[in-house]
Amino acid sequence: MLVRFDYPGTLEGLLDEFFAPAVQTSFQGYPAIDVAEHENEWTVVAELPGVKKEDLKIKFENGVLTISGERKPYELPQDARIWLNEMRVRQFSRSISLGAEVDADRISAELQNGMLKVVVPKAEYARPRTIEVK
Amino acid sequence: MGNNNAALTRSGSRALMRQPELREVVVTPVADVYETSEAFIVKLDMPGVDRDQISVSVEPGRLFVKGVMAAQHQVPANMIFREIGTRSYVREFNLGDGIRRDQIQAVFEDGVLTITLPKTDEVKARHISIK
Repeated sequence: MLVRFDYPGTLEGLLDEFFAPAVQTSFQGYPAIDVAEHENEWTVVAELPGVKKEDLKIKFENGVLTISGERKPYELPQDARIWLNEMRVRQFSRSISLGAEVDADRISAELQNGMLKVVVPKAEYARPRTIEVK
Repeated sequence: MGNNNAALTRSGSRALMRQPELREVVVTPVADVYETSEAFIVKLDMPGVDRDQISVSVEPGRLFVKGVMAAQHQVPANMIFREIGTRSYVREFNLGDGIRRDQIQAVFEDGVLTITLPKTDEVKARHISIK
């Protein structure tokens, strides 16, 4: 009997790893991202506080999703005296390889509360299906 | 960014092992603070939080900010790569005297919370005299 643990790293996890689709990204980068796989789509969530919609670019090419853009500085009054400056205003670019089995025409993106959510639908032929036995 | 694509297949497995219970993580939000002749302005990066999940409280000598990440950003079971997860933001600031505590304003836009703490007239006057 195969005992199922609630954490990965078991035999199942290893098999999973072995047969996993190649989702690749850089180890560390900006913005921070979450990638989740669902039955019919991938969702990529990126943390982009202070970034405006018009300063953001999302591209899908050769199986690679690229999120790039710029966080522009806020307006600082001339007489301002800065006490603390931790926010980093900068250009960014991050790529996530999702493979080519994607319905690129139906990729959608939403930016809300400084969090970007990109939904990448899987191509029809790449979706899991149940085959009926006749 | 091509060479940035270091192979990290199923890295999510490893990320999950570090925090097997997927507990809520408390993060200190990144902040900017500056002062003008009229007010102190505090800015905090709190992405993923809804406006109504943020609380700003002011006590004598203390400004306390808390935000809880919205449910739609919570970690689904089939996460394969995770750097954000679900988090709460908590940060506290010391406040000097001379803040008009009844006139503090907070605005949340694009995941950035901006708190404006207007100065009292006495403090403003004192600043002018220093110049």
